[in-house]
Amino acid sequence: MIMNDPDDYAVHLQDVSRTYGKGPTEVAALRHVTVGFPRGSFTAVMGPSGSGKSTLLQCASGLDRPQTGSVRIAGRDITRLREKELAELRRDHVGVVFQSFNLVPSLTAAQNTVLPTRLARRRPDPARVRDLLQRVGLAGRERHRPAQLSGGQQQRVAIARALLSRPEVLFADEPTGALDRGTGHEVLALLREAADTYGQTVVMVTHDPEAATYADGVLFLTDGRIVDSLRRPSVDQIAARLGGSR
Amino acid sequence: MMTTLAWSNVRTNPAAYAATFTTILLAVTLVGSSGLLIAGVSDGGELEAVGALVGTSAVISAFVSVFVVSGMLSLHVMRQRRAWGLLRSVGLTPRQVRLLVTVEALVVAAAASAVGCALAVPYAHGVAAVLRRVGFAPTDIPVAITPVPFIVASAVGMVATLAASRIAARKAVRSGPLEVLRDSAAEQRILPWPRALVGTAALAGGVVLLDLASRQTEGGGAMEIILGAVMALCVAASALGTVVVRALGYLLAAPVAWLDPAAGMLARASLATQPRRAASVASPVMLTVALMGTFVFAAATTQTAAGQATMEVGEWIAPALVGSTALYTVISVLNATAMSMSARAQELRLLRSVGIGPAQLTRALVWESLITVAVGALLGTAIAAAGLLTLGRVLTGRLWFDYSAPQYLGLLAVCTAAGLIGALVSTRKARRGPLVG
Repeated sequence: MIMNDPDDYAVHLQDVSRTYGKGPTEVAALRHVTVGFPRGSFTAVMGPSGSGKSTLLQCASGLDRPQTGSVRIAGRDITRLREKELAELRRDHVGVVFQSFNLVPSLTAAQNTVLPTRLARRRPDPARVRDLLQRVGLAGRERHRPAQLSGGQQQRVAIARALLSRPEVLFADEPTGALDRGTGHEVLALLREAADTYGQTVVMVTHDPEAATYADGVLFLTDGRIVDSLRRPSVDQIAARLGGSR
Repeated sequence: MMTTLAWSNVRTNPAAYAATFTTILLAVTLVGSSGLLIAGVSDGGELEAVGALVGTSAVISAFVSVFVVSGMLSLHVMRQRRAWGLLRSVGLTPRQVRLLVTVEALVVAAAASAVGCALAVPYAHGVAAVLRRVGFAPTDIPVAITPVPFIVASAVGMVATLAASRIAARKAVRSGPLEVLRDSAAEQRILPWPRALVGTAALAGGVVLLDLASRQTEGGGAMEIILGAVMALCVAASALGTVVVRALGYLLAAPVAWLDPAAGMLARASLATQPRRAASVASPVMLTVALMGTFVFAAATTQTAAGQATMEVGEWIAPALVGSTALYTVISVLNATAMSMSARAQELRLLRSVGIGPAQLTRALVWESLITVAVGALLGTAIAAAGLLTLGRVLTGRLWFDYSAPQYLGLLAVCTAAGLIGALVSTRKARRGPLVG
């Protein structure tokens, strides 16, 4: 599929650079990265630690601002948005799942799930919330607080939150990093379903080749640059590329 | 190794240590200067009337100091528990953690006591000069530099700090590394039985003292007992604070959650799941309102009961002296709010990353602070009213007291401002700063 117009993508980064620190301690986390994530696709971003994969995710999701370049989500350049507009973008168009600390500790699982909806001053549909929590395997735990849930359960609440308002894009940073294999696969299957069933665009940072096989494509980063990509990858192919990029 | 660890704790958490340091420092200054003045007037003679007043103010400042320092330290400990759990999980023995906590507390308390003692001298001179200037003291009050006030003041600072950190260390060690690391937002036991016991005993003591005061025949004697009752009731309210804060907070938060659903829901949930954190902010508010309310309006009540039109010097100097203590409690409202809020940077960033708007986030924090201050103010008002009604009854035989609405509202405004400033300034970086990096 050939796409030239950035607006054909759900998320498009154009010539994005991000450096941290100043002077002699300056580190370039991203160097002139241009990449688009097609609508409804599931992309894994891989690379050695320090390669800039988390920075890519943070810039693409509007959590961080690049020094140069533009990031477009839903056709808008988010690097120019003010804080209030960014907040609206985050609760309506973007879902995030982090490796840890995904949930507000004082809110129950159900309250955490509906948080973006409530922040947007909309009334969540209780039946849909219950149904969603049931689908992520948390039936009967709606009223539990994060401290009463395991790491995997917290992760699944975060995914339920990201699915509830059906945002166009779902960003996940090492969503299975803290989970055991079985729970990890359940979480990945949910992300796959978000792309297949609801046409959501999923961008996931991972270091686990097995997790990356759930994706349609894999991007490999080294030293802040995209150095390679694979479509419909197998574990062996990914492992070979990762080995070669070191 | 231990000193390196202790120092790195201080360095990574400067605001919390600064707040604790200031709290102990001011406590030592207050107690030390009161001691110096007592030593100065103890020769008797003309200064005897001053002696009684200075004695009362010393008792109050000692009480307030221990109260505020222990509250502050328990807040500090809540913050540090994670760090201690982390150290245990990387292999520190319980003994080493205890040692670390003790060394940290000793260093902070010793430094704060030294500075506090140094500041006590000019402060005592200042108070002496004011008492002389307004004509309350017939002669100059000699501020005698004797060692005893310094020793007592430092002891108050050191003992309160050490005792609180020992208890904290024991808890940190006993709870084990994993339990501490699991960030339990829902505090398990909100009223452990020792607290319940202390609270009930203090409540009973306060009621008995009020009853005793109401049987007095003259106002002066009754006032001393009422003061004791007010202090006992403050201890009771503080010990039982978590339960009261949760119940009152829930009631007050209901209309807020209706007016401003998202921000209100966040404020309400935070109060309901972390009553201890809210109680540590409500406590100094309660203390300020209870003490200032009692002293200021006791003077007004006495004056009205006696049919006087204007106040004599002796009648307003007591509220003025207590006022300087109240300044300390107001600072501790600010400190406590700042400390409890700064621990929540991660939570505030998470809220932003799921789409809370800047104004919404500010409102959630403002609501939470307002409700917490309101709970403290309600408790403080109830305590002061109980004391004042008893005084009015002794003076006039009726359940009555005199008050000034503008002064009362001014008192509430000061506490509210302290709470809001503490909450907003300490969260500024988390509210507006970068989300990552």
